[in-house]
Amino acid sequence: MSDHIDGPRQIGDPAADLTDLFAFTSPEHPTRTVFAANVFPTCGPNAIFSNAITHSIVVRRAKVVGLGDSARFETSGPEIRFGVRFDALEKGSSHHKPIQRGTCTFPDGQKLSVVVNDEKGASTPDGRFRAFAGLRSDPFFLSWIIPAFKPFENLLFNDNVLSIVIECDTRRVLDPDKGSLFGVIAETVPLPSGNAFVGHEVLRLDWVGRPEQTNIRLNNPGLARADDIRDLWNQQTPFALAQDVRPLFLQRLKDSLANWDMRDGKQDWTPSALTANANMFLDDYLLFDVAKPITDASHLEIEKSTLNGKAYQTGGGRTVDANVIDILLTWMVNRDREPLQGGTTKATKPGTKTFPYFATPNTELQSVTDRVDLDASPDRVWASIGQFGANWNPLIADIKLIGTGVGQLRVIEMTDGKQIIERLEAIDNSRRFLRYSNVSGIPATDYTGTLAVEPNGTGSSVECRAQFVANGQGTLIVKTIVSTLFKIGLDSLKPRFGTAK
Amino acid sequence: MNEALDDWGNECFLTTDGDIAAINLKSARRRSWSRFSQNPLRAGIAELVVELEQLTAQFIGDVCALDRLEALVQELLEADAVSARAAMMQAQLASMAHRFTDARHFLTQAASRGAAQFDLKRLLLSVDQACGVNLDGMLDERRDIARKSGRIEDLVALGALLADLGEFAEADRTYRQALCEYQDVSPFPKAWTCFQLGELWGELVPVPQATRAAQWYERAIQCLPSYTRARVHLAEIYSSSGRTNDAQSLLISAISSSDPEVHWRLSDVLASQGNFVDAEAQMQVAHFGFENALRRHLLAFADHGAEFYAGSGSNCRKALDLARINVANRPTLRAFEQAHAIALSVGDQNAASELFAAATERWSGSAAFRSSPLSQRHSSNRRGATA
Repeated sequence: MSDHIDGPRQIGDPAADLTDLFAFTSPEHPTRTVFAANVFPTCGPNAIFSNAITHSIVVRRAKVVGLGDSARFETSGPEIRFGVRFDALEKGSSHHKPIQRGTCTFPDGQKLSVVVNDEKGASTPDGRFRAFAGLRSDPFFLSWIIPAFKPFENLLFNDNVLSIVIECDTRRVLDPDKGSLFGVIAETVPLPSGNAFVGHEVLRLDWVGRPEQTNIRLNNPGLARADDIRDLWNQQTPFALAQDVRPLFLQRLKDSLANWDMRDGKQDWTPSALTANANMFLDDYLLFDVAKPITDASHLEIEKSTLNGKAYQTGGGRTVDANVIDILLTWMVNRDREPLQGGTTKATKPGTKTFPYFATPNTELQSVTDRVDLDASPDRVWASIGQFGANWNPLIADIKLIGTGVGQLRVIEMTDGKQIIERLEAIDNSRRFLRYSNVSGIPATDYTGTLAVEPNGTGSSVECRAQFVANGQGTLIVKTIVSTLFKIGLDSLKPRFGTAK
Repeated sequence: MNEALDDWGNECFLTTDGDIAAINLKSARRRSWSRFSQNPLRAGIAELVVELEQLTAQFIGDVCALDRLEALVQELLEADAVSARAAMMQAQLASMAHRFTDARHFLTQAASRGAAQFDLKRLLLSVDQACGVNLDGMLDERRDIARKSGRIEDLVALGALLADLGEFAEADRTYRQALCEYQDVSPFPKAWTCFQLGELWGELVPVPQATRAAQWYERAIQCLPSYTRARVHLAEIYSSSGRTNDAQSLLISAISSSDPEVHWRLSDVLASQGNFVDAEAQMQVAHFGFENALRRHLLAFADHGAEFYAGSGSNCRKALDLARINVANRPTLRAFEQAHAIALSVGDQNAASELFAAATERWSGSAAFRSSPLSQRHSSNRRGATA
């Protein structure tokens, strides 16, 4: 037997891919600071964290050590590290989804277990820490065609991500009396396999500091024929960029920033200011100051003021709703001479004022449900319609069954000549329930249909439900096909069994 | 000491649990379709859907992936019929469906429209390798690519080429190198490499080593429990060694995939256990599945269909027809071996002789031919002629 070699090109695990990092003051409790890291860009429903990764948010104390063209920030230890690992899936109870648990390890050594997608999250007994992990609406929005530098609609509309949110008591955890300015990064690191890690350097899958270090600054599409050095960047150690590669990355940043400066045809950056800006971006960590206000507009203000030779006024950081791309492009293209605005200034859903601060996930699985209440016992109705091969829908001309039991196929010839093939996935005669999937004939993917008959007073209710992702013909068309099929089928039962009074 | 297990233990990192990876693949695939539907011309989205559907077909055994990709290409062509990108998508789909002549045509079209040389070359190499074209000449190129990139998919492709060339020991070393050097957490490449090792030792070497092959298939399934093809291959080994209950468990867990081979092998297992009623039901589903798949994607399923009809599918003439279609499409040594064996089993001496002559003409100069069952006939013919 042959298996044609057409191997996977998409080999990385998307659940290791960090999309964004946030640091802001809790809108719910101003004495608390929130850190959040998102992974798995554009994930669909049901996405789950990898159990082979340590996700970390690492904070170091920072200070300003130069202003203007000599602007520089320095960070120092000890690190304040928040680590999160996730387990393999646990089987849920019957008919429920499997669940996943994670364990957070906090800077003081406390551990906290969280259940993924539990909106309430979990808190340590002393109240210092609270954590959430799960699927959320992606708060990031990119409303520019970057190569053409043109405003556009949000390219991440309706996207979801997996979010890790950690809230901590600012005073007890960050101790701002020793200095209130901090730098923060997030990283994903694979878990070692047994003792095999000995002798190997720590491999980092991804890390992130300020937004868009890799995709807009290092990999500026305006730089023709420039090598893609993003993988090399991702291998670097945060807060400790290797000296031998610093010149490479610095030169790329200078080239990229010079290119960005001229995107509007005007030069706003002097060579020395541009070099200072490149040096600032080279040390890639998100700066925030817990003693000053962190707002939707304060992102990058610490860096910008310092480069402009002034004392910074805000807490910088990054809130859930910060319009980071417009802030960044305005800075790089015209040094804040005039605000640039993309095609939209909002994400699919805004952040929330309460924990976990990231909006509920976007759903895209379409569903069609129809039901009819009948004046007949559930068992009587089920006996007539509950077999997978039962032909009770007037739109169906004929049904041919292939095989038996779960896995059985039914080939449905419709009265209009079309053919639909469905596979029986589950059947429970005692609960009067069956579930099937579509093999072909309905232009949808991941189509799951159910038929259930339940008691309803002295009679019964029949419910047909389908969930699917429209494929090829548009959602409305597929919904119309399915709902017509359900409606005509269920209506045909009324004269047969009588309508419930 | 078990050689296979030695190197398994040297891997550096854990990989994501296979069940999680399968759920995440489905999740990402769904979302990519949704994004594609919103705007088929969006940069990179069609390519992402193709990659995720390829993974789904390869690892989850979802034979409907090809149908979905046909819908994607149609939609892309409606939006943009004349771009290099559309031609590349057509070429990728054609290659995946084993329509290799079409794939070459679309690659030529993509090249004339300015597609990236790297992408063109990569897919053309894959098509040439699948068709057994210029394998010796390709070896240096594959080695070079693998050395430069160090990526697991390039090492596995090199290993597969070495196996095609009959260099089994080096193929084994290359696959194991790929495993040892793998530094990511996705279980798909690791499971794929283990599967290749299973196939190497279970099916490609002149004297198959079932135990060794089974260990690699078991590893593949351990990495990725939903890996349907690994389950089918392992079930074949279990079945042939009398472990029919184990084979049955493996296959029942894969029954939700749409791969008809699962039903075929399960039918065989059930029949060997004396459960003829269920065996017959499974066989009906298998028949339906193969006929459906062959009707929609003849070339993609020609070799698998030939094997089915030559075996429990009980239609040797159809098996021979399919095997010859496969040979005409991709005249690899393995395709010739399969068609020749089926011709002999049907008793069609003329077809066997034709296939033998064509195989000899094409492959007798290769190292792989020396370890092929065909070469034994070649040798005996030559001895006969000398006598």
